[in-house]
Amino acid sequence: MTAVSVRNVSKVFNQGQSNQVDALSDVALEVKQGEFVSLIGPSGCGKSTLLRLIANLLEPTAGEVVVNGKTAAQARLDQDYGMAFQQAGLFDWRTVRKNIELPLELKGWDKVNRMARADEMLQLVQLPEFGDHYPWQLSGGMQQRIAIARALAAHPPLLLMDEPFGALDEMTREYMQGELLRICAATGTTVVFVTHSIPEAVYLSNRVVVMSPRPGRITKLIEVSLGAERSEDTRNRTSFFEAITAVREGLRGMHAAHVGLGNDDR
Amino acid sequence: MSRLATTLGKAVPAVVFGAAFLGFWEWAVRFFELKPYFLTAPSSIWQQFTANFDLIRGAATVSGTNALIGLVAGTVFGVAMSFVLSRFRILNQLITPLAIALNAIPIFVLVAVLNNMYSITSEIPRRIMVTLVVYFIVLVNVARGLTQVSPTHVELMRSYAASDVAILRKVRIPNAVPFLFTALKIAAPAAVITAFVSEYFGGSQNGLGSRISSNIANSKNAAAWAYVLAACLLGLLFYTVSVVMESLNRKGGANQ
Repeated sequence: MTAVSVRNVSKVFNQGQSNQVDALSDVALEVKQGEFVSLIGPSGCGKSTLLRLIANLLEPTAGEVVVNGKTAAQARLDQDYGMAFQQAGLFDWRTVRKNIELPLELKGWDKVNRMARADEMLQLVQLPEFGDHYPWQLSGGMQQRIAIARALAAHPPLLLMDEPFGALDEMTREYMQGELLRICAATGTTVVFVTHSIPEAVYLSNRVVVMSPRPGRITKLIEVSLGAERSEDTRNRTSFFEAITAVREGLRGMHAAHVGLGNDDR
Repeated sequence: MSRLATTLGKAVPAVVFGAAFLGFWEWAVRFFELKPYFLTAPSSIWQQFTANFDLIRGAATVSGTNALIGLVAGTVFGVAMSFVLSRFRILNQLITPLAIALNAIPIFVLVAVLNNMYSITSEIPRRIMVTLVVYFIVLVNVARGLTQVSPTHVELMRSYAASDVAILRKVRIPNAVPFLFTALKIAAPAAVITAFVSEYFGGSQNGLGSRISSNIANSKNAAAWAYVLAACLLGLLFYTVSVVMESLNRKGGANQ
Protein backbone atom coordinates (compact mmCIF):
# COMPACT_ATOMS: atom_id res chain seq x y z
CA MET A 1 0.00 0.00 0.00
CA THR A 2 1.10 3.57 -0.66
CA ALA A 3 1.74 5.81 2.34
CA VAL A 4 2.45 9.00 0.42
CA SER A 5 1.65 9.79 -3.16
CA VAL A 6 2.89 13.04 -4.66
CA ARG A 7 1.30 13.48 -8.10
CA ASN A 8 2.84 15.98 -10.54
CA VAL A 9 3.13 18.63 -7.88
CA SER A 10 4.45 22.12 -8.51
CA LYS A 11 4.90 24.89 -6.00
CA VAL A 12 5.45 28.53 -6.91
CA PHE A 13 6.00 31.20 -4.26
CA ASN A 14 4.99 34.81 -4.95
CA GLN A 15 3.42 33.85 -8.25
CA GLY A 16 3.30 36.67 -10.79
CA GLN A 17 5.50 38.93 -8.72
CA SER A 18 9.04 40.06 -9.43
CA ASN A 19 10.35 37.76 -6.69
CA GLN A 20 8.60 34.65 -8.02
CA VAL A 21 10.32 31.41 -6.99
CA ASP A 22 9.67 28.07 -8.66
CA ALA A 23 10.27 25.97 -5.57
CA LEU A 24 9.10 22.69 -7.08
CA SER A 25 8.39 21.74 -10.66
CA ASP A 26 6.36 18.69 -11.65
CA VAL A 27 7.45 16.40 -8.81
CA ALA A 28 6.13 12.85 -8.56
CA LEU A 29 6.97 10.47 -5.72
CA GLU A 30 5.43 7.33 -4.23
CA VAL A 31 6.39 6.19 -0.74
CA LYS A 32 5.39 2.67 0.26
CA GLN A 33 4.09 1.73 3.69
CA GLY A 34 6.97 1.08 6.07
CA GLU A 35 9.52 2.56 3.68
CA PHE A 36 12.26 4.96 4.79
CA VAL A 37 12.82 7.64 2.13
CA SER A 38 15.35 10.48 2.36
CA LEU A 39 15.19 13.72 0.39
CA ILE A 40 18.63 15.12 -0.30
CA GLY A 41 19.92 18.02 -2.33
CA PRO A 42 21.57 21.42 -2.16
CA SER A 43 19.91 24.43 -0.51
CA GLY A 44 16.99 25.71 -2.54
CA CYS A 45 16.19 22.34 -4.17
CA GLY A 46 12.79 22.34 -2.51
CA LYS A 47 13.24 19.32 -0.23
CA SER A 48 11.81 21.13 2.79
CA THR A 49 9.04 22.52 0.60
CA LEU A 50 8.19 19.00 -0.56
CA LEU A 51 8.07 17.81 3.05
CA ARG A 52 5.74 20.70 3.99
CA LEU A 53 3.48 19.90 1.04
CA ILE A 54 3.16 16.33 2.29
CA ALA A 55 2.48 17.75 5.77
CA ASN A 56 -0.11 20.16 4.30
CA LEU A 57 1.69 23.06 5.94
CA LEU A 58 1.85 24.38 2.36
CA GLU A 59 -0.66 23.97 -0.48
CA PRO A 60 0.62 22.90 -3.92
CA THR A 61 0.21 25.32 -6.83
CA ALA A 62 -0.54 22.38 -9.12
CA GLY A 63 -0.94 18.62 -8.71
CA GLU A 64 -2.11 16.73 -5.64
CA VAL A 65 -0.72 15.05 -2.55
CA VAL A 66 -2.35 11.95 -1.11
CA VAL A 67 -1.37 10.76 2.38
CA ASN A 68 -2.68 7.50 3.79
CA GLY A 69 -5.29 7.34 1.02
CA LYS A 70 -6.72 10.79 1.89
CA THR A 71 -6.03 14.34 0.80
CA ALA A 72 -3.06 15.87 2.62
CA ALA A 73 -5.43 18.34 4.32
CA GLN A 74 -7.62 15.54 5.70
CA ALA A 75 -4.54 13.59 6.81
CA ARG A 76 -3.35 16.62 8.76
CA LEU A 77 -6.75 17.07 10.41
CA ASP A 78 -6.70 13.38 11.36
CA GLN A 79 -3.12 13.70 12.70
CA ASP A 80 -2.05 10.89 10.37
CA TYR A 81 1.55 12.00 10.63
CA GLY A 82 4.00 13.20 13.25
CA MET A 83 6.63 15.79 12.53
CA ALA A 84 10.12 16.58 13.84
CA PHE A 85 12.28 19.57 12.99
CA GLN A 86 15.92 20.60 13.22
CA GLN A 87 15.08 22.43 16.44
CA ALA A 88 13.65 19.89 18.86
CA GLY A 89 10.96 22.53 19.46
CA LEU A 90 10.10 21.31 22.94
CA PHE A 91 8.13 23.69 25.15
CA ASP A 92 10.34 24.98 27.96
CA TRP A 93 7.39 25.49 30.27
CA ARG A 94 6.23 21.88 30.01
CA THR A 95 7.89 18.85 31.53
CA VAL A 96 9.20 16.20 29.14
CA ARG A 97 6.12 14.10 29.86
CA LYS A 98 3.76 17.03 29.19
CA ASN A 99 5.60 17.72 25.94
CA ILE A 100 4.99 14.17 24.75
CA GLU A 101 1.34 14.43 25.82
CA LEU A 102 0.71 17.61 23.79
CA PRO A 103 -0.56 15.98 20.56
CA LEU A 104 -2.77 13.71 22.67
CA GLU A 105 -4.19 16.70 24.57
CA LEU A 106 -5.09 18.28 21.24
CA LYS A 107 -6.80 15.05 20.22
CA GLY A 108 -8.84 15.21 23.43
CA TRP A 109 -7.43 12.14 25.18
CA ASP A 110 -8.14 11.84 28.89
CA LYS A 111 -5.43 12.08 31.51
CA VAL A 112 -5.07 8.38 32.30
CA ASN A 113 -4.58 7.37 28.66
CA ARG A 114 -2.21 10.27 28.06
CA MET A 115 -0.02 9.25 30.98
CA ALA A 116 0.05 5.62 29.89
CA ARG A 117 1.05 6.59 26.35
CA ALA A 118 3.70 9.04 27.57
CA ASP A 119 5.21 6.22 29.66
CA GLU A 120 5.20 3.95 26.63
CA MET A 121 6.92 6.59 24.47
CA LEU A 122 9.53 7.34 27.15
CA GLN A 123 10.33 3.61 27.18
CA LEU A 124 10.52 3.58 23.39
CA VAL A 125 13.16 6.35 23.28
CA GLN A 126 14.86 4.83 26.34
CA LEU A 127 14.54 7.86 28.58
CA PRO A 128 11.98 6.57 31.13
CA GLU A 129 13.56 8.36 34.09
CA PHE A 130 13.38 11.83 32.50
CA GLY A 131 9.59 12.30 32.36
CA ASP A 132 9.49 14.93 35.07
CA HIS A 133 12.53 16.89 33.88
CA TYR A 134 12.26 20.11 31.94
CA PRO A 135 13.62 20.15 28.37
CA TRP A 136 16.47 22.56 29.17
CA GLN A 137 17.80 20.02 31.66
CA LEU A 138 18.46 17.56 28.81
CA SER A 139 21.26 17.39 26.23
CA GLY A 140 20.58 18.18 22.57
CA GLY A 141 20.41 14.52 21.59
CA MET A 142 18.02 13.70 24.44
CA GLN A 143 15.80 16.63 23.48
CA GLN A 144 15.66 15.34 19.91
CA ARG A 145 14.69 11.87 21.18
CA ILE A 146 11.84 13.46 23.16
CA ALA A 147 10.79 15.34 20.01
CA ILE A 148 10.63 11.99 18.17
CA ALA A 149 8.66 10.49 21.07
CA ARG A 150 6.23 13.40 20.80
CA ALA A 151 5.95 13.01 17.02
CA LEU A 152 5.09 9.33 17.45
CA ALA A 153 2.90 9.69 20.56
CA ALA A 154 -0.38 9.38 18.70
CA HIS A 155 0.99 6.33 16.82
CA PRO A 156 0.81 8.00 13.41
CA PRO A 157 1.63 5.72 10.47
CA LEU A 158 3.91 8.39 8.98
CA LEU A 159 6.81 10.38 10.38
CA LEU A 160 8.01 13.54 8.58
CA MET A 161 11.46 14.79 9.61
CA ASP A 162 13.19 17.99 8.52
CA GLU A 163 16.94 17.68 9.21
CA PRO A 164 16.21 16.48 12.74
CA PHE A 165 19.86 15.69 13.51
CA GLY A 166 21.31 18.72 11.70
CA ALA A 167 22.19 20.54 14.91
CA LEU A 168 23.83 17.57 16.65
CA ASP A 169 27.51 16.66 16.79
CA GLU A 170 28.74 13.76 14.68
CA MET A 171 28.90 11.18 17.50
CA THR A 172 25.42 11.96 18.79
CA ARG A 173 24.19 12.09 15.22
CA GLU A 174 25.29 8.53 14.43
CA TYR A 175 23.85 7.30 17.70
CA MET A 176 20.54 9.02 16.92
CA GLN A 177 20.44 7.43 13.46
CA GLY A 178 20.70 4.00 15.06
CA GLU A 179 18.01 4.94 17.55
CA LEU A 180 15.69 6.16 14.81
CA LEU A 181 16.06 2.91 12.84
CA ARG A 182 15.39 0.89 15.98
CA ILE A 183 12.27 2.95 16.79
CA CYS A 184 10.96 2.73 13.21
CA ALA A 185 11.51 -1.02 13.16
CA ALA A 186 9.66 -1.35 16.46
CA THR A 187 6.70 0.76 15.33
CA GLY A 188 6.59 0.02 11.58
CA THR A 189 6.45 3.74 10.85
CA THR A 190 6.93 5.10 7.33
CA VAL A 191 9.47 7.94 7.28
CA VAL A 192 10.16 10.81 4.91
CA PHE A 193 13.44 12.37 6.00
CA VAL A 194 15.07 15.59 4.77
CA THR A 195 18.84 15.82 5.17
CA HIS A 196 22.01 17.49 3.91
CA SER A 197 24.19 14.53 4.81
CA ILE A 198 24.91 11.83 2.24
CA PRO A 199 26.07 9.14 4.75
CA GLU A 200 23.02 9.85 6.88
CA ALA A 201 20.66 9.47 3.92
CA VAL A 202 22.32 6.23 2.84
CA TYR A 203 22.53 4.70 6.31
CA LEU A 204 18.87 5.33 7.10
CA SER A 205 17.07 4.89 3.81
CA ASN A 206 15.53 2.26 1.59
CA ARG A 207 15.51 4.90 -1.11
CA VAL A 208 17.30 8.23 -1.51
CA VAL A 209 15.57 10.93 -3.53
CA VAL A 210 18.15 13.26 -5.09
CA MET A 211 16.85 16.73 -5.85
CA SER A 212 18.30 19.73 -7.66
CA PRO A 213 17.43 23.42 -7.59
CA ARG A 214 16.09 26.11 -9.97
CA PRO A 215 13.49 24.83 -10.37
CA GLY A 216 13.33 22.27 -7.55
CA ARG A 217 12.84 18.81 -9.02
CA ILE A 218 13.70 15.16 -8.50
CA THR A 219 16.71 14.15 -10.59
CA LYS A 220 17.32 10.65 -9.34
CA LEU A 221 15.85 7.88 -7.21
CA ILE A 222 18.51 5.64 -5.72
CA GLU A 223 17.65 2.28 -4.14
CA VAL A 224 19.85 1.50 -1.17
CA SER A 225 20.13 -2.25 -0.73
CA LEU A 226 21.80 -2.51 2.63
CA GLY A 227 19.10 -4.80 3.97
CA ALA A 228 16.64 -4.24 6.76
CA GLU A 229 19.02 -4.85 9.65
CA ARG A 230 21.61 -2.10 9.90
CA SER A 231 24.21 -1.65 12.60
CA GLU A 232 27.41 0.29 13.18
CA ASP A 233 29.02 -2.46 11.06
CA THR A 234 26.98 -1.33 8.08
CA ARG A 235 28.99 1.90 7.96
CA ASN A 236 32.16 -0.06 7.15
CA ARG A 237 30.76 -2.15 4.35
CA THR A 238 31.74 -1.70 0.73
CA SER A 239 28.10 -1.51 -0.30
CA PHE A 240 27.65 1.45 2.06
CA PHE A 241 30.48 3.35 0.36
CA GLU A 242 29.18 2.43 -3.08
CA ALA A 243 25.78 3.83 -2.19
CA ILE A 244 27.41 7.00 -0.91
CA THR A 245 29.27 7.35 -4.21
CA ALA A 246 26.06 6.79 -6.14
CA VAL A 247 24.26 9.53 -4.23
CA ARG A 248 27.22 11.88 -4.55
CA GLU A 249 27.33 11.36 -8.31
CA GLY A 250 23.59 11.88 -8.46
CA LEU A 251 24.05 15.18 -6.64
CA ARG A 252 26.77 16.25 -9.04
CA GLY A 253 24.37 15.51 -11.87
CA MET A 254 26.87 13.02 -13.25
CA HIS A 255 25.79 10.01 -15.14
CA ALA A 256 25.75 7.47 -12.36
CA ALA A 257 26.05 4.48 -14.65
CA HIS A 258 25.25 1.70 -12.32
CA VAL A 259 24.55 1.46 -8.68
CA GLY A 260 26.24 -1.78 -7.80
CA LEU A 261 24.57 -2.60 -4.56
CA GLY A 262 22.79 -5.52 -3.10
CA ASN A 263 25.23 -8.39 -3.66
CA ASP A 264 27.15 -8.45 -0.42
CA ASP A 265 24.26 -8.13 2.00
CA ARG A 266 24.99 -10.45 4.90
CA MET B 1 18.73 26.62 55.17
CA SER B 2 22.08 26.33 53.45
CA ARG B 3 20.63 28.11 50.41
CA LEU B 4 19.57 30.95 52.69
CA ALA B 5 23.09 31.02 54.10
CA THR B 6 24.64 31.31 50.63
CA THR B 7 22.20 34.07 49.71
CA LEU B 8 23.09 35.95 52.87
CA GLY B 9 26.77 35.27 52.23
CA LYS B 10 26.48 36.87 48.81
CA ALA B 11 24.90 39.93 50.42
CA VAL B 12 27.80 40.49 52.84
CA PRO B 13 30.04 42.60 50.52
CA ALA B 14 27.12 44.86 49.57
CA VAL B 15 26.11 45.33 53.23
CA VAL B 16 29.69 46.09 54.26
CA PHE B 17 30.04 48.59 51.42
CA GLY B 18 26.73 50.27 52.29
CA ALA B 19 27.69 50.56 55.97
CA ALA B 20 31.10 52.00 55.03
CA PHE B 21 29.40 54.53 52.74
CA LEU B 22 27.04 55.65 55.56
CA GLY B 23 29.96 55.82 57.97
CA PHE B 24 31.95 58.00 55.56
CA TRP B 25 28.92 60.25 55.00
CA GLU B 26 28.41 60.69 58.76
CA TRP B 27 32.12 61.31 59.30
CA ALA B 28 32.34 63.84 56.46
CA VAL B 29 29.37 65.85 57.74
CA ARG B 30 30.89 66.04 61.24
CA PHE B 31 34.52 66.52 60.24
CA PHE B 32 33.86 69.32 57.70
CA GLU B 33 31.05 70.71 59.86
CA LEU B 34 28.68 70.69 56.87
CA LYS B 35 25.54 72.74 57.43
CA PRO B 36 22.28 70.73 57.46
CA TYR B 37 20.88 72.69 54.46
CA PHE B 38 23.92 71.53 52.46
CA LEU B 39 24.07 67.91 53.57
CA THR B 40 22.35 66.22 56.48
CA ALA B 41 24.01 63.48 58.49
CA PRO B 42 22.53 59.95 58.31
CA SER B 43 22.09 59.99 62.09
CA SER B 44 19.81 63.04 62.00
CA ILE B 45 17.88 61.59 59.03
CA TRP B 46 17.32 58.43 61.04
CA GLN B 47 16.33 60.47 64.07
CA GLN B 48 13.73 62.32 61.96
CA PHE B 49 12.59 59.04 60.43
CA THR B 50 11.86 57.44 63.80
CA ALA B 51 10.42 60.65 65.35
CA ASN B 52 7.96 61.15 62.48
CA PHE B 53 7.37 57.50 61.78
CA ASP B 54 3.56 57.65 62.00
CA LEU B 55 3.38 60.64 59.62
CA ILE B 56 5.82 58.99 57.23
CA ARG B 57 3.89 55.72 57.30
CA GLY B 58 0.68 57.64 56.54
CA ALA B 59 2.28 59.41 53.59
CA ALA B 60 3.84 56.17 52.35
CA THR B 61 0.44 54.48 52.53
CA VAL B 62 -1.10 57.22 50.36
CA SER B 63 1.66 57.09 47.71
CA GLY B 64 1.92 53.31 47.94
CA THR B 65 -1.82 52.88 47.45
CA ASN B 66 -1.75 55.14 44.39
CA ALA B 67 1.19 53.19 42.99
CA LEU B 68 -0.43 49.81 43.69
CA ILE B 69 -3.81 50.71 42.20
CA GLY B 70 -2.12 52.18 39.12
CA LEU B 71 0.14 49.13 38.83
CA VAL B 72 -2.77 46.68 38.95
CA ALA B 73 -4.97 48.72 36.61
CA GLY B 74 -2.10 49.35 34.16
CA THR B 75 -1.22 45.63 34.14
CA VAL B 76 -4.83 44.57 33.53
CA PHE B 77 -5.33 47.06 30.69
CA GLY B 78 -1.88 46.39 29.24
CA VAL B 79 -2.42 42.62 29.14
CA ALA B 80 -5.92 43.02 27.69
CA MET B 81 -4.69 45.39 24.97
CA SER B 82 -1.72 43.18 24.10
CA PHE B 83 -4.16 40.33 23.35
CA VAL B 84 -6.21 42.60 21.10
CA LEU B 85 -3.08 43.89 19.34
CA SER B 86 -1.59 40.44 18.76
CA ARG B 87 -4.93 39.18 17.41
CA PHE B 88 -5.56 42.09 15.04
CA ARG B 89 -2.27 43.09 13.45
CA ILE B 90 -3.92 46.02 11.67
CA LEU B 91 -4.64 47.65 15.06
CA ASN B 92 -0.98 47.28 15.87
CA GLN B 93 -0.11 49.38 12.83
CA LEU B 94 -2.72 51.97 13.82
CA ILE B 95 -1.78 52.21 17.47
CA THR B 96 2.02 52.03 17.35
CA PRO B 97 2.45 55.57 15.91
CA LEU B 98 0.07 56.90 18.56
CA ALA B 99 2.08 55.14 21.30
CA ILE B 100 5.30 56.65 19.93
CA ALA B 101 3.69 60.11 19.85
CA LEU B 102 2.49 59.67 23.44
CA ASN B 103 5.98 58.62 24.47
CA ALA B 104 7.38 61.83 23.01
CA ILE B 105 5.34 63.89 25.51
CA PRO B 106 7.17 64.45 28.79
CA ILE B 107 4.53 62.22 30.24
CA PHE B 108 4.23 63.91 33.65
CA VAL B 109 2.74 67.05 32.18
CA LEU B 110 -0.35 64.91 31.70
CA VAL B 111 -0.84 65.02 35.47
CA ALA B 112 -1.38 68.78 35.29
CA VAL B 113 -4.02 68.22 32.61
CA LEU B 114 -5.62 65.40 34.58
CA ASN B 115 -5.66 67.57 37.72
CA ASN B 116 -7.87 70.01 35.84
CA MET B 117 -10.19 67.24 34.74
CA TYR B 118 -10.80 66.00 38.27
CA SER B 119 -11.20 67.74 41.62
CA ILE B 120 -7.84 69.01 42.90
CA THR B 121 -8.09 66.92 46.05
CA SER B 122 -8.73 63.74 44.10
CA GLU B 123 -6.18 60.92 43.97
CA ILE B 124 -7.59 59.79 40.63
CA PRO B 125 -5.23 61.88 38.40
CA ARG B 126 -2.19 60.34 40.12
CA ARG B 127 -3.59 56.85 39.77
CA ILE B 128 -4.39 57.43 36.11
CA MET B 129 -0.84 58.68 35.62
CA VAL B 130 0.66 55.51 37.17
CA THR B 131 -1.78 53.39 35.15
CA LEU B 132 -0.62 55.02 31.91
CA VAL B 133 3.07 54.50 32.63
CA VAL B 134 2.56 50.85 33.66
CA TYR B 135 0.16 50.23 30.78
CA PHE B 136 2.74 50.98 28.10
CA ILE B 137 5.49 48.94 29.74
CA VAL B 138 3.19 45.91 30.10
CA LEU B 139 1.62 46.34 26.66
CA VAL B 140 4.93 46.44 24.79
CA ASN B 141 6.46 43.46 26.63
CA VAL B 142 3.45 41.15 26.68
CA ALA B 143 2.59 41.88 23.04
CA ARG B 144 6.15 40.84 22.19
CA GLY B 145 5.75 37.64 24.21
CA LEU B 146 2.50 36.79 22.43
CA THR B 147 3.86 37.37 18.92
CA GLN B 148 7.53 36.36 19.11
CA VAL B 149 6.92 32.64 19.38
CA SER B 150 9.27 30.09 17.88
CA PRO B 151 8.36 29.37 14.21
CA THR B 152 8.99 25.68 14.93
CA HIS B 153 6.32 25.76 17.66
CA VAL B 154 3.79 27.31 15.30
CA GLU B 155 4.52 24.79 12.52
CA LEU B 156 4.31 21.98 15.04
CA MET B 157 0.90 23.15 16.27
CA ARG B 158 -0.33 23.51 12.69
CA SER B 159 0.85 19.96 11.97
CA TYR B 160 -1.43 18.91 14.85
CA ALA B 161 -4.26 20.82 13.13
CA ALA B 162 -4.50 22.95 16.30
CA SER B 163 -7.00 25.83 16.27
CA ASP B 164 -5.94 29.47 16.78
CA VAL B 165 -7.42 29.30 20.27
CA ALA B 166 -5.36 26.19 21.09
CA ILE B 167 -2.21 27.88 19.75
CA LEU B 168 -2.99 30.92 21.91
CA ARG B 169 -3.56 28.84 25.04
CA LYS B 170 -0.74 26.34 24.64
CA VAL B 171 1.95 28.41 22.91
CA ARG B 172 1.40 32.17 22.91
CA ILE B 173 0.22 32.70 26.49
CA PRO B 174 2.85 30.47 28.17
CA ASN B 175 5.47 32.13 25.97
CA ALA B 176 4.31 35.59 27.15
CA VAL B 177 4.37 34.81 30.89
CA PRO B 178 8.11 35.48 31.41
CA PHE B 179 7.68 38.70 29.39
CA LEU B 180 4.90 39.76 31.79
CA PHE B 181 7.15 39.26 34.81
CA THR B 182 9.99 41.17 33.15
CA ALA B 183 7.51 43.99 32.50
CA LEU B 184 6.38 43.94 36.14
CA LYS B 185 9.98 44.12 37.34
CA ILE B 186 10.39 47.33 35.32
CA ALA B 187 6.88 48.64 35.99
CA ALA B 188 6.78 48.17 39.79
CA PRO B 189 9.53 50.69 40.67
CA ALA B 190 8.33 52.95 37.83
CA ALA B 191 4.84 52.94 39.40
CA VAL B 192 6.26 54.14 42.74
CA ILE B 193 8.36 56.86 41.10
CA THR B 194 5.39 58.01 39.02
CA ALA B 195 3.19 58.15 42.13
CA PHE B 196 5.75 60.44 43.87
CA VAL B 197 6.39 62.71 40.94
CA SER B 198 2.66 63.09 40.25
CA GLU B 199 2.38 64.71 43.67
CA TYR B 200 4.64 67.59 42.60
CA PHE B 201 1.90 68.97 40.34
CA GLY B 202 -0.40 70.10 43.16
CA GLY B 203 -3.33 68.39 44.78
CA SER B 204 -3.56 67.06 48.34
CA GLN B 205 -0.35 67.37 50.39
CA ASN B 206 -0.64 63.84 51.74
CA GLY B 207 1.87 61.65 49.93
CA LEU B 208 5.63 61.16 50.18
CA GLY B 209 6.37 63.33 47.14
CA SER B 210 4.46 66.35 48.44
CA ARG B 211 5.95 65.93 51.93
CA ILE B 212 9.46 65.95 50.47
CA SER B 213 8.85 69.18 48.58
CA SER B 214 7.04 70.92 51.49
CA ASN B 215 9.80 69.97 53.96
CA ILE B 216 12.46 71.30 51.61
CA ALA B 217 10.42 74.50 51.17
CA ASN B 218 10.47 74.87 54.97
CA SER B 219 14.22 74.17 55.17
CA LYS B 220 13.55 71.01 57.17
CA ASN B 221 16.15 69.07 55.24
CA ALA B 222 16.58 66.17 57.63
CA ALA B 223 12.81 65.58 57.59
CA ALA B 224 12.80 65.77 53.78
CA TRP B 225 15.58 63.18 53.70
CA ALA B 226 13.56 60.98 56.05
CA TYR B 227 10.73 61.01 53.48
CA VAL B 228 13.26 60.26 50.72
CA LEU B 229 14.36 57.25 52.76
CA ALA B 230 10.73 56.12 53.00
CA ALA B 231 10.30 56.62 49.23
CA CYS B 232 13.39 54.49 48.64
CA LEU B 233 12.08 51.73 50.95
CA LEU B 234 8.67 51.78 49.23
CA GLY B 235 10.30 51.46 45.79
CA LEU B 236 12.44 48.57 47.08
CA LEU B 237 9.35 46.86 48.51
CA PHE B 238 7.57 46.99 45.16
CA TYR B 239 10.65 45.76 43.31
CA THR B 240 11.25 42.91 45.78
CA VAL B 241 7.65 41.72 45.51
CA SER B 242 7.90 41.66 41.70
CA VAL B 243 11.18 39.71 41.86
CA VAL B 244 9.73 37.20 44.32
CA MET B 245 6.67 36.71 42.09
CA GLU B 246 8.96 36.09 39.12
CA SER B 247 11.06 33.52 40.94
CA LEU B 248 7.93 31.72 42.20
CA ASN B 249 6.69 31.50 38.62
CA ARG B 250 10.05 30.20 37.50
CA LYS B 251 10.09 27.52 40.15
CA GLY B 252 6.64 26.37 39.03
CA GLY B 253 7.75 26.12 35.44
CA ALA B 254 10.49 26.96 33.10
CA ASN B 255 13.60 28.70 31.99
CA GLN B 256 17.26 28.64 32.73
